[in-house]
Amino acid sequence: MEEFVERALDYASKKATYAEARYCSSQRNVVLMKNGTVSATGYSVDSGLAIRLLNRSIAFSSVNVPDWGVIREEIDKAAKASEMIGRNKFSSEVPVKDSWKVDQKKKIEDFSFEDRVQKMRELDDLLAGEKISMRILSLNDNIEEEYNTSSEGMSLRSRLPKISFFAMIGFMENGSFEQGTVEVGYSGGYEALDVWKLEQRLKHESDVLKKAARAKKVSDGKYDLVAGPEISGIVAHESCGHPTELDRIFGREMAQAGESFIKKNNRGMRVGSDIVNLVDDPTLDHSFGFYRYDRDGVRAKKRYLYKNGLINDFLSNRESAGRMEEKSNGASRSSEWDKEPLVRMSTTYIEPKDHNFEELIESVKEGIYMKSFTEWNIDDIRFNEKYVGREAYHIQNGVIKEVIRRPVIETTTINFYSSIDAIGKDLEFSAGTCGKGDPMQGVDVWMGGPHIRLRDLNVR
Amino acid sequence: MEIETIYKRVERNVDQAAVKLIRSKITQIRFSNNNIDISNEWNEELASVFLAKNGRTFIFELKNEKDLEKIVPVSISAIDKLEKNDDFVSLNDKKNTYRKKRMRDEKLREIEGHEFVNSFIDEVKPFVKRVGGVFYKKEIEDSVLTPFNSGTQKQFGVEFVSRAFDENDYPVQLSIATSTDEELPELLKQGEEVLDLAKKIRNVKEGVEGKYNVIFSPLCFASLVSYTIPMASAFQIDSGMSMFADRMGERIGKSSFTVYDDPSDDSMFNSGAFDDEGSPTKKTPVIEKGVVKNFLHNFSTAKKYDVETTGNAGIVNPSPWQISVEPGNEEVEDMISSMRRGLFINNTWYTRFQDYREGVLSTIPRDGIFLIENGEIKESWGGIRISDSLLNMYKNIEGLSRETKKVKWWDETMHTKSPFVEVGDVNISRSK
Repeated sequence: MEEFVERALDYASKKATYAEARYCSSQRNVVLMKNGTVSATGYSVDSGLAIRLLNRSIAFSSVNVPDWGVIREEIDKAAKASEMIGRNKFSSEVPVKDSWKVDQKKKIEDFSFEDRVQKMRELDDLLAGEKISMRILSLNDNIEEEYNTSSEGMSLRSRLPKISFFAMIGFMENGSFEQGTVEVGYSGGYEALDVWKLEQRLKHESDVLKKAARAKKVSDGKYDLVAGPEISGIVAHESCGHPTELDRIFGREMAQAGESFIKKNNRGMRVGSDIVNLVDDPTLDHSFGFYRYDRDGVRAKKRYLYKNGLINDFLSNRESAGRMEEKSNGASRSSEWDKEPLVRMSTTYIEPKDHNFEELIESVKEGIYMKSFTEWNIDDIRFNEKYVGREAYHIQNGVIKEVIRRPVIETTTINFYSSIDAIGKDLEFSAGTCGKGDPMQGVDVWMGGPHIRLRDLNVR
Repeated sequence: MEIETIYKRVERNVDQAAVKLIRSKITQIRFSNNNIDISNEWNEELASVFLAKNGRTFIFELKNEKDLEKIVPVSISAIDKLEKNDDFVSLNDKKNTYRKKRMRDEKLREIEGHEFVNSFIDEVKPFVKRVGGVFYKKEIEDSVLTPFNSGTQKQFGVEFVSRAFDENDYPVQLSIATSTDEELPELLKQGEEVLDLAKKIRNVKEGVEGKYNVIFSPLCFASLVSYTIPMASAFQIDSGMSMFADRMGERIGKSSFTVYDDPSDDSMFNSGAFDDEGSPTKKTPVIEKGVVKNFLHNFSTAKKYDVETTGNAGIVNPSPWQISVEPGNEEVEDMISSMRRGLFINNTWYTRFQDYREGVLSTIPRDGIFLIENGEIKESWGGIRISDSLLNMYKNIEGLSRETKKVKWWDETMHTKSPFVEVGDVNISRSK
């Protein structure tokens, strides 16, 4: 299909004030293991041509039938659809010609299915040895190659390899059940396995579930909270990244994932204590949401979404930035070639500060140390949220005490960030798949932060 | 792509092969705040190929026949070196015949998406602050070819979701999904219906924690069963991560509660005559009169459980087609008028589980949470969460309406036909 890009762009350019033609190919491998059985091993090649046109409104069309007649027909249909009255303002950007790729030390192409299955077998054996009776493991890799062009002169080629691993595990003892997940992702090759230290992670998670299944709940009441990097990350993602997506602020997701408690003129509004900085940065080496240019061809950069506790910036693409009469800050992503680009996060995190872990704990008289979460959710304006602890401990008089089971925090975005009084100097990331759009687009992200301390939260 | 070409390319190298070819033509129009944002068109082909050789299995997918020459050697080479897949027994090795789907969609096909959306916006916007939504017209043809069976079937349907905000920015939402001309009048009434729902908004307040009787709308209850029924897949049961695990034959709901996986209802989009390995489909009660009655199987999982396949392949992971909740005999108006104090919840989202075995979850109601006192809507709430378990809620079902609706919304609900359902003592929590 790549051979049709120039022809499609040329044809589409004559029918629109702005046109894009993008060829994309993804080669994916997966191994899925369930309780010790290799349930699925698979390979897929997903490729095709995406066209985006701008006239009186936006039209997007995807076609993978390698026939010029079919492609031309799709462009004609898209051109007609784009003549319907709607929104049609894109930010003005300088078109870029460039190419980029992420290097691999241990190439995906050299990693055989036997290698993949062998690795999974080792990990599954480890979990089985830990008496984890419920185990679903998957190892995925993907090489995405893209050639993106526009009527303004954009010409971008890229090659982005990625690896991810996901484990869902459950432990049952005397009718008491606990479930947990381990999820990691990496842009690059299979050197990821050296970085992740999966054996340690899975062993630790097994211990966490066993202890939690035997633990008791804490009494309802007010507690200080020391939250680990996994909690910092999910909070950063859900209650900073999402509400600062400019398309969401404009209501473009109103019938699906919803809107935002933040309005377009809310820059400068206080949402947290003045030590709180929140960042989204697609340029972190080997991050799961890494890109050098976004789908609109805008150069990726680090963005401070909350700064000193104030709303500082929004995530934008050309469409939403155009409505704001600003430049895009390069957050346009789509999960696959055949989905429209939307405003998306990449790596979202709370910026580290100055405390070490002991300093965070020592002044807590009655508190909870919540290191990881299980159930969580947040409302459709990203304001009311809930986090249930998976690995959690009671803190008394500056000392970490017993394991506690599934402590629940139900709070608001502003209350959470305003309750932060100290931020650690450590920084860790975890991987996730962020959902948005219709049809649903799950994009790869990292989220993270340091240990943080919050005062006086309701816990049950 | 041609299914026979792909099949011939692989079948000589393996013991069994199943090829599924999907051709899809989908039109979508998304709109928000009274304006169209984007028109999307998909014209795609996808081939999924399952291979089995000496007890080993491999799957590949492609969207361009040219990639076959790259994929087949990799796949054939890989399968010989893999471990045996103990989950796989065989593809369905009986020669099967399939029912003919009843397609009655001539008038639905004539609907022009932009006209429909613009007409809807024009009808609704004078009476609300703003409205958004999504219109889908989907046409899919899928074919399956195995050593034993072959078939081709079509799906056509229209889906429409609208969300309207009143002057206080309080939202209500509706969904309709249909594949039959008989329901065209209902589709054309969506403007009227969303305005009727918006008229119920009054006294907007933050919700209060506690235990409440809740009347779930079909859209909202569809969401709950859409998280429930996939857990009846034999794959999920095997994994242990399911509220159905170890509960075959156990009572998990009121005797009035029956839920089917029902691929036989051709008025719904996701009906089907055969599954991915050529087994004929059938209407399967998963929960019958409150008791766990069936898991969802493909040919291999059925052998393992010593039952007949339910026609739900997924050759790896059996999955439901579309859900049908058996209606009751109550009128919705009576359910509301007889409620002394409780809630009507129109929609929910962001459902997450802390315990799949017990179905312990929380989910966030939205788009019309109405406090009912003495049979009348008194307040419209926001900021609440259902923090409960599916098992509790299904055991506390107190009533089901005669009326049903067919819905499909985003990733939150599968294609589902559901009545209004009243559940007692639902635990409502909120942020503090």
